[in-house]
Order: sequence, then C-alpha cells, then structure tokens
Amino acid sequence: MIATRIALTIVSVATLALAGCGERPQVINYKQGTYQGKPDTPAYQGAPFNGNKQQWDNAIETRMQSQNEYTRLHD
Amino acid sequence: MLLTRKTDSTRVAGPRLDRTLGARIATMDRRAFLKRSGLVAGAGAFASQLPYGTMGKAQAADETANVKTEVHRTVCTHCSVGCAVDAVVENGVWTRQEPVFDSPLNLGAHCAKGASIREHGHGEHRLKSPMKLVNGKYQKISWEQAINEVGDKLAGIRKESGPDAVFWVGSSKHSNEQSYLLRKFVSYFGSNNCDHQARICHSTTVAGVANTWGYGAMTNSYNDMQNTKCAIYMGSNAAEAHPVSMLHMLHAKETGAKMIVVDPRFTRTAAKADEYVRIRSGTDIAFVFGMLYHIFKNNWQDDKYINDRVYGMDKVKADVMAKWTPDKVEEVTGVPEARVYKLAEMMAKNRPSTVVWCMGQTQHTTGNAFVRASCILQLALGNVGVSGGGTNIFRGHDNVQGATDVGPNPDSLPGYYGVATGSWKHFATVWGVDYEWIKKQFASQAMMEKPGMTVSRWIDGVLEKNELIDQDSNLRALVFWGHAPNSQTRGKEMVEAMKKLDVLVVIDPYPSATAAMAAMVRKDGVYLLPAATQLETSGSCTASNRSLQWRERVIRPLFESQTDHAIMYAFAKKFGWGPEFIKNYEMWKPDGDAKWEEPTPESVLKEINRGMWTIGYTGQSPERLKLHMKNMQTFDVKTLRAKGGPCDGDYFGLPWPCYGTPEIKHPGSPNLYDQSRAMMDGGGCFRANFGVERDGVSLLAEDGSFPKGSDLTTGYPEFDHVLMKKLGWWDELSDAEKKAAEGKNWKTDLSGGIQRVTMKHGAHPWGNAKARAVVWNFPDGVPQHREPLYSPRPDLVAKYPTHDDKRAFWRLPTLYKSVQEANVKEKVAEKFPLVLTSGRLVEYEGGGEETRSNRWLAELQQECFIEINPVDANNRGVRDGEYVWVKTPTGAQIKVKTQVTERVGKGTTFIPFHFSGWWMGKDMLGFYPEGSAPIIRGEAVNTATTYGYDSVTMMQETKTTLCQVEKFTA
Amino acid sequence: MARMKFLCDAERCIECNACVTACKQEHEIPWGVNRRRVVTINDGVPGERSISVACMHCSDAPCMAVCPVDCFYKSEEGVVLHDKDLCIGCGYCFYACPFGAPQFPQTGAFGVRGKMDKCTFCAGGPEPDRSEAEFQKYGRNRLSEGKLPACAEMCSTKALLGGDGDVIANIYRERVIHRGKGGEVWGWATAYKLPPAGAQQGAPGAGAPGAAPAPATPPGATKS
Repeated sequence: MIATRIALTIVSVATLALAGCGERPQVINYKQGTYQGKPDTPAYQGAPFNGNKQQWDNAIETRMQSQNEYTRLHD
Repeated sequence: MLLTRKTDSTRVAGPRLDRTLGARIATMDRRAFLKRSGLVAGAGAFASQLPYGTMGKAQAADETANVKTEVHRTVCTHCSVGCAVDAVVENGVWTRQEPVFDSPLNLGAHCAKGASIREHGHGEHRLKSPMKLVNGKYQKISWEQAINEVGDKLAGIRKESGPDAVFWVGSSKHSNEQSYLLRKFVSYFGSNNCDHQARICHSTTVAGVANTWGYGAMTNSYNDMQNTKCAIYMGSNAAEAHPVSMLHMLHAKETGAKMIVVDPRFTRTAAKADEYVRIRSGTDIAFVFGMLYHIFKNNWQDDKYINDRVYGMDKVKADVMAKWTPDKVEEVTGVPEARVYKLAEMMAKNRPSTVVWCMGQTQHTTGNAFVRASCILQLALGNVGVSGGGTNIFRGHDNVQGATDVGPNPDSLPGYYGVATGSWKHFATVWGVDYEWIKKQFASQAMMEKPGMTVSRWIDGVLEKNELIDQDSNLRALVFWGHAPNSQTRGKEMVEAMKKLDVLVVIDPYPSATAAMAAMVRKDGVYLLPAATQLETSGSCTASNRSLQWRERVIRPLFESQTDHAIMYAFAKKFGWGPEFIKNYEMWKPDGDAKWEEPTPESVLKEINRGMWTIGYTGQSPERLKLHMKNMQTFDVKTLRAKGGPCDGDYFGLPWPCYGTPEIKHPGSPNLYDQSRAMMDGGGCFRANFGVERDGVSLLAEDGSFPKGSDLTTGYPEFDHVLMKKLGWWDELSDAEKKAAEGKNWKTDLSGGIQRVTMKHGAHPWGNAKARAVVWNFPDGVPQHREPLYSPRPDLVAKYPTHDDKRAFWRLPTLYKSVQEANVKEKVAEKFPLVLTSGRLVEYEGGGEETRSNRWLAELQQECFIEINPVDANNRGVRDGEYVWVKTPTGAQIKVKTQVTERVGKGTTFIPFHFSGWWMGKDMLGFYPEGSAPIIRGEAVNTATTYGYDSVTMMQETKTTLCQVEKFTA
Repeated sequence: MARMKFLCDAERCIECNACVTACKQEHEIPWGVNRRRVVTINDGVPGERSISVACMHCSDAPCMAVCPVDCFYKSEEGVVLHDKDLCIGCGYCFYACPFGAPQFPQTGAFGVRGKMDKCTFCAGGPEPDRSEAEFQKYGRNRLSEGKLPACAEMCSTKALLGGDGDVIANIYRERVIHRGKGGEVWGWATAYKLPPAGAQQGAPGAGAPGAAPAPATPPGATKS
C-alpha cells in the first residue's frame, strides 16, 4: 500500500517534473494522408479578382483562347 | 507606347518582412533586385490546417508603391520572323516578359531564344567596359581613351595607306537606322570596304532573285503560307531556324496543305513533312531541273503565264530536257525517278505551291544558280505573284533584310542604288552634303565607284600578295561591328590574318570569338568596345516578309555600353566630320549624359523615307509604324491587312515596297508581283530592270498582262521624265515636283512626283516586264550544276566542273578550277571521304557568343557535336558520345563529340556552326576578358572549313566540304 | 471549371524548347533543375515525334500518396503543389512519379537546399500570392494574375496547351477535325497501321514519316 502510494507519488512527481521542463513530445503528432504544410490561398483570392471566382474563371477561359490560333484564322 | 502602371497605394498592415523590403527597394543593386522582383504582396496567410482557410477579406498589402512599372513593346532580336515581346520593367530593371498574343506575325508564340530574351536584362557575360589588349591580357580602359586611340590608329592608317586599308564589318543585328548610318559612316571615311552577315547568308538569293524578276527578297510572307496547297522546303530547316514560322505551316498542313522536305539530313522539319527526300549535298540544281523535266514532259507548266510574263523559258526547257533526264538526275543527286516525279506532280497538281529555301541553297559556289533554278520552277508553274505561292525565302538575323536594304553593302549605297556616280549624287542630296566633299574623302573616283571587298574574304584582303589585289594597299585594320568571326570559313587562316593586322577593333555587346582568337595569337593592338543591344535602344527592323516593326527601348544600356549610333557619332567627331554625319537629324541624350549624344532613330528613319525611292522605304514613317505596333490586334492573320481600326487598310508593318510619301498612305505590298491587286492595294508586277528587248524578243510584259486597275494595259519600261512626257502625264505633276523631277527617273526624283502620278494611274513606277529565266549577265545564263570545289565525286567533277578562276573579283583573285582540279589530282576525296555540312540549332543564333552566354539556352546544348551515320561510325570504331578529331583538307582538326544517328545518310556528316571558344581541342577561356566568356564553349566548325566562293556574290561554300573523322587521341 | 491540365500536341511539337526556357526564365530556375523537358522518340528517323513533359498534375497524384511528411496538396483547380518547408528531400515522390516531374536541386539552388522542386502550373506555392517568399521558393504565380503557364503561352507552334481541361479539349478537337480529312484517318488502315491504299513505298532512306512497312493483311481484315 505504502509502496503503491510512493510509486504513485514518484510517477506524479516525475510527470510534473517533465511538464515543468516544457519538454516536447518525441513523436510528431502525425495525421496520415492530410496535408501538413503551410496554408495557401486560392488563385483568385488576391488582386485583381479579390475572391471573385467567377471573374477569375472567365479571365482564364478567355485567355486560353490565345493558345488557339483558329480564333484568328477563319478557315 | 508607354504604359506606366502604378500599383495602387493602399497600405495595409502586413507582415513586417514586406514592409522592410518595401523600404529597401530603392537602395538595392540591380542583381539583388532581380531576385526579389515582381513584388506584390498577397494576402496574409491564414492559420488553418487545410491549404485554404476561411475566406478572409482580400488584403493587398502594397510594397510596390515606390516601384514604377512600365511595359515596353519590342521585337525579339534573334531571327527574321520578328516575334513581338512585351517587356515589363520595374524601376528600370527588366523583370518579366509577356507574350504578345495580338501580333499577327507570331500570335504570342516564341522559340527557346525568344522565350528567354529577358536574359539580356541580366547580361552577366556582357562586355562591360571598353578594353584593350595589353601584353596578351585585356585591360579596362575609359571610353575617352578608347575613342582617341582607336580613332588615331585608324586615321593614321587612312593617311598612310588610304581609306581602303580599313575594313568595316557591319551587322545584320543593327536596326535599320543604325545600319543606314553605318553605310554613311563608311562612305564618309572614304571607302566601300564594308559588309555584313547577308554576304554569308542570302547574298546569292538577293543577286539571283533580283536578277530574275526585280527584287531579291521573300516574295510572300510566313503568314501567306497559310494559303498554300503545297510547300517544298529545299535547303531549309525551318523547325530549328525559324520555329515560329512552323506555326503557320503546320496550321496550313492541318487544313489541307502538303509539305515536302528535300535535305541531306532528316531534319526536325522533315519529321513534320508528308514527303521527305534525301539528296546529296550540293546537287539542288540537278534535282530542281529533274522536277522541271517531268513538269515539261507532262505539260504541267502554265503556258499563258510563261508567255505573258517570262523571258527565255524555251531556252531553259531545251537545256532541261536534254541534260536532266531521270538517269542523270539520279546519278548526280542520288534520288530515283519515281521520287522526283512524285514531288513534281505534287507541286504541279496542288497549286498555288510555294518553295522555301535558306542556306541549303545559298551557301555554294553556284548558289546564285541554285536560287535561280528555284525561281524558274515557280515561274514555270505560274506561282509567282500569287497568294500561297511565290518564293518564300527565310532570312536569318532579325534585321538582315533591313541591313541588306539600307545598310553597309560593299557594292551599293542604301536602297540598292549601287555605287555609280548618279547614286552618289543622289545620296549627297539626301544626306545634305556636297558630292565633291564625299568624293574627296575617297582615294579616287574610281575607288568610289568600285565595289569593295566582302566579309567572306577579308582574310585574303590582309594576307594576299599586294600586287594581286585590286586596291592600293592590303587591309591593315579591321572593325568587327556586330559580327562574329566564327561564321566565316577558313578559321585557321583567319588567325594568321588577325596576327598580321595593325589593329583589330570589336564593337559588340559581347567580346565575341574575335576577342579570344586575337588574344590567342597576338599581344596587343586589339580593342573591344561595348555596344548596347537592340533592347537598349529604339528603332525599326525589317522582318523577312519585308514588314517593318518599331522597337521601343526597354532598358538603358547596361554597364558602360553605348548604342551603336552614339559610338558612330563619337567616331565621326573624332574623324572630323561630326556635323556632316548628323546633318539632317534631331539629336538627343537618352540618359542625360552630356558626353553621349546620338541622332534620334525617328529622324534617321525620316531621312530613309526621303531617299529610298527604289524599294519603297518611303511610306513607312515612324508614326505609321508605331501606330501599327499599338494596334496589332486589328490585323488579319491570313492576309496581314487591318480590318477597321486606326490602321484600316494597311498591311502589317507596311511591307516594302510602300510607295510614295507617308501622306499618300500606300498600304504596303504583302505579296510581291501580284497582278490581281491594284497598285494602291498592294499589288505589283515584275520589274523592268533589264532593258526593253533582247535578241529581238521583248522583255516587257505582253499585252493584256498588267496589274489590276492600271491605266496601261501593256508592258512598259521604268518610269522617267521622258516616259511621263510621252504618256502626257507630265503635266499632272505640280510645279515644285516638275522642277525636282526634270531629267530624273522614278528612283532619283526626290519630290516623289513621278511615283505619285504613276501610282494615281494604277501603274508601277518600276515598269511592267517579264521575269528572266535566262540571266545573261551571270556566269551561267541558264543555271548549270557544277560540283562543289571539295566534291566527294571526282568522277562527276569531270562531267560538271566548276568555273574558271577569276583574276579580280570583288578586288581579290578568286580560285575555282585550280582548287577543284588540285583536289582531284591529290585524291582529296579519298583521304577525306565524308561530306561535311554545317547548319543551325534552335537554341543558338549565329556565331553563338550571345546565346551561349544565356544560361537558360546554354544548358540545352552543352557540347559541340558531329552527327555521323552508324555505318561510318562503326567503320571508324567510333562510339556515340565519344570525342573525335574531325580533320579537313586545310590541315585543321577540331575536337567534337559524336552523335551517332540515322539523321544523316551514309557518307554525310553535320556539325552545328554556333560554337566557338575552343581551338583545335584547347579551351580558350583564358583568352577572353575576365568575366565575359560565354558559359558554353566548343569548337567552331569554321575553324576547319575550306575555300570556295559563289561566282557572283562571294558567298562561302559552307554546305559542302569534305572531312575525315578519327577517334580522339590527346 | 474543369481541372487544370496540360496537353502537348505531338503533331505540332517541333522540339524548339521554348516551353523549357520560358519556364526557366519565368521562375529564374537554376542550372540543373528541369521542371519541363521535351522528349523525342525516334530521333532522326521517319516517325520522329516530340512531346513536352512536366508535372501532369494528376487527379490521384502518386507523389501525394507516398509522401512521408504529407507536404503535397491540391488546389481547387487540380494543381498539385507542395510545401518546401516541410519537404525532407527523401525522393520518394521521385520514385513514385511516372513522369519524372520531381527535381532535386543541388545545394543552394533556388534558395532551398535539396528540397524537391517541380512544375507548379505557374501557381506558386503555400506562401502569400506573388510575395517575395513565394517567388524565391516556387517561382511566379501567374494563375493568381489570371494568366496561364508561361510554357503553354509561349509555345512556338501552340503544340503545348495548358489550362482548363475542357477548353483544351475543345481546342484540340477542332484541330483533330481539321486534320482528319478523308477516310484515311479512320478505319482499318489507322487501327492496323496499314498504309493507305495506293501509297508508294518510299525509296531507301526517303520514307514518309510514320509510314510503317506493310505487314501481311490480317485474316478477315478489309483494306479501306
């Protein structure tokens, strides 16, 4: 009984001591299959689109036609 | 067009990093700035586990409030397609480039070189300051010292040995204004000894084609190839030399056109062809006439066209039918009858068909005949002057067309006026100086009217015995002004010539191989002056299709470089004719530096407009050109014509001839000699350049053959005041015009009245004549196949020998027969059994020092190599990727890596010509000025190439020589 | 909007390397890092074809699946990007990628030692859009400017198309329709690589590209 109590005390003291040191866990808190890096923002977030996804979509699709010379060569 | 876009200055609290950076921009040096360029802070990061956090308010933290952003529209400086580039400049530093989708010429497309042109804004390997070779090492000197020393040395040589003792090698990379000024410069110095890259590129084209029907330029355009039904590329590797032209060709192919490639190599262009024919290098005339044989035999020729517009086709036909039967064609070219027939049939049955050529046809001792054979083929088929037809000659450098038109040619003043007395008087008037004063600058009137030497032979001008050259003194000084040395043949002899010169000057953005070659063989007497590139100045350039484009200045000259025209003016002042040089121009100091003044490119172009009546460089004023560059999207891509908008009715770039003054607003001529269009609509007819009749046959066009809408429905000669009076049109000139035009013709009438009235009647000032299938003033009236000087077939040399030697040709004795006969006698073809041909790579341009200093391009081609067929490689025990010695009859040997490939046929090898910086196995790095050697160096194939020159233009025979390949041993 | 994709039209690619240098120039990519490369098969013989290859931005990207530190993510439009700060340079993605997209710069290259680098579809990476940090690590962010990858926009013959997969498909379809004139494009001849009826067999060394030698007629096949 006393031994258990002593053991418990030692363990709790040890835990507190550890906590007191501010020691970090040795193993990374790893979540399998989820991106672990810095956050990013969508392409349409900043100027000049300012979050307007539709406007960005339209800009991209219009610009894509520059890759198609058939729009300027009417055969 | 200057778009100054200041980013909006709403400052939002962002991370500290951005703010400190914003404060530091102004004090950063250029290189550091480039690393941090393009700053526009995005929104702050959101703390979240997912990549996209909650959609917060958009934050535009602005660090760029003190960054001035400008967009300048320029044109790539590499090849003659003329791809436009929008250069984004921030705080004077070139940070980004964007494609110009609006351009009707390239639609935003680029090749590897155009996509990386921004590297010119870094220029780490540029020549940074003037340098002088002192005791074998290049040392930095000041501009003042450079101009003074070089000026003194050249003036001294001029005084002792006459102005012809200096040779000025000009550049096809100069703008129109700069090349025009250089021709004037050399004229004032008192010599015709100037030249540029066209000599070794398309000089044979210009001579051959101009002598066939009037002008020696691409008749149609890259865009017009969209309209063709069948294109034959004979001697052109457009996929590597003019990649963006393939956009037009492949689009045409997709919509039904056929594509044929005839080449000794299975090139990347051949990989896209419907039909590919392998031909022995140097036998194009036999091949073309082999096609003509089938065309005549099957009556596929256009008889009416020939009757109305061609002289001498009957003589050609007689020659072809007798000499070029299928067995003879196969013997010479190696191509069997069935293949030749098939190609002839394709060209004949899919009209309009077009012929494309480049160096494969031009760089031979009979190059002038090769190109004429192609012209004759097109005349027989009635393809010239037709949209989708014509002879589409792809020129090389970005402004070789312009430099040929208005620049430093030894046999002509700007505009193909020639060097006769009348031409000099014309230019004296245009330049605003006294004719007698110019004459006084020359050694004599005889020298003034004698064509100078050519860049392909300058080494003989130095080394040849004095009594054999057709001028008083040998060449004692050479100025390489924007030209590389490793693109000319006989490099081994070139260094001997460099040794012998009194002084050698290089004026270039890069030291060029000249600097290293010279430092290798001499200790002093070499000067390097840093010139600015075309991206550091403004001006116009002429693309291969004759369109002019205006370049805006992107950045100021890097390091201590100066623009070419500023350097010219500095020397003009040093030589004592500064005021004469800048007579009619506005002067300016682009960066406020008091020491460096230069004529504005606009005012120089205006002078060109006032004087270039021959080729119609008169209508392309700077204002019109700038308007075109601003409104590119209004031009139709197939026809190049603006539909509405501020340039309505113009053809893009006002392709010359653009007749009359800019006020008349001629739209330019997209396809030459097109009689289906009216004069003011861009139409034309063949020039009456060769007289009125020959041997009783009229050289003028037949009745009923005339440009649409012309008042004259017959053939007529060139217009002059006599003809105007005869026609009763003289009185339509104004009094001022009559005064100027009296006694003059359409080329020398500076008022332009003769042209204006002629145009009003829908007629052409240059006459309406027949094209000549027989050019009687050339060595061979009807093109003849002649074996190259270094021919692999001695048996055929006996049947098709080369020309006789010439005593004084472009001032030098030039050998043909003696070289060829010696080769046969000494069995050179047995000792050197492999044909060596050279050509282009897509990653590099010209001599290569500029592009091999661009790290993005250099990474793609790191070694010079030889393409060799597996059979030949195995016969020599040579493996793919090994080094070999390539030995030629000159005694030179070069060390290159092998590429064993079926691309070349058995018995033929290929080496690209863009490399330099190794000399017969040794790296020349130590001979370059510190910090200015190109990243990639390799053997120059021309170190080992041989003697051989075209019989009309002195073009070098680089496409066919002989070599032997052996395993490399140290 | 469909996913972002690349398509390189092998009928048009002439191996000019504009796509390669456009990418290098746009992102100031150092020597030795090849985000995009042109691959040529049958070099020098009839049948030579070239195709430009970079990251294919796979929908089910193997690189993403195998990364031990999960540094990959996918944008809404399907662009596969990764976080260089997290990357440990192990090369497992290099192992997994069927296209050879991951690149590993030498020390000091691109500002980040040994971290994997690859084509970003000109969409930057997990740093503030168009910031200096993003440019240093990942290159330009053209997508956030409403532009498309530099390689596709600068292609000399418009062989390389890059952008919304739907739009690319439409552009490509139009070309295919134009090319496919006549019955010789479809049918047995195309499927079984038989030459079109009546075609000549070229002379030695002078064959038309893509023309395979005529095999024996398969039993039951009808020549078109």
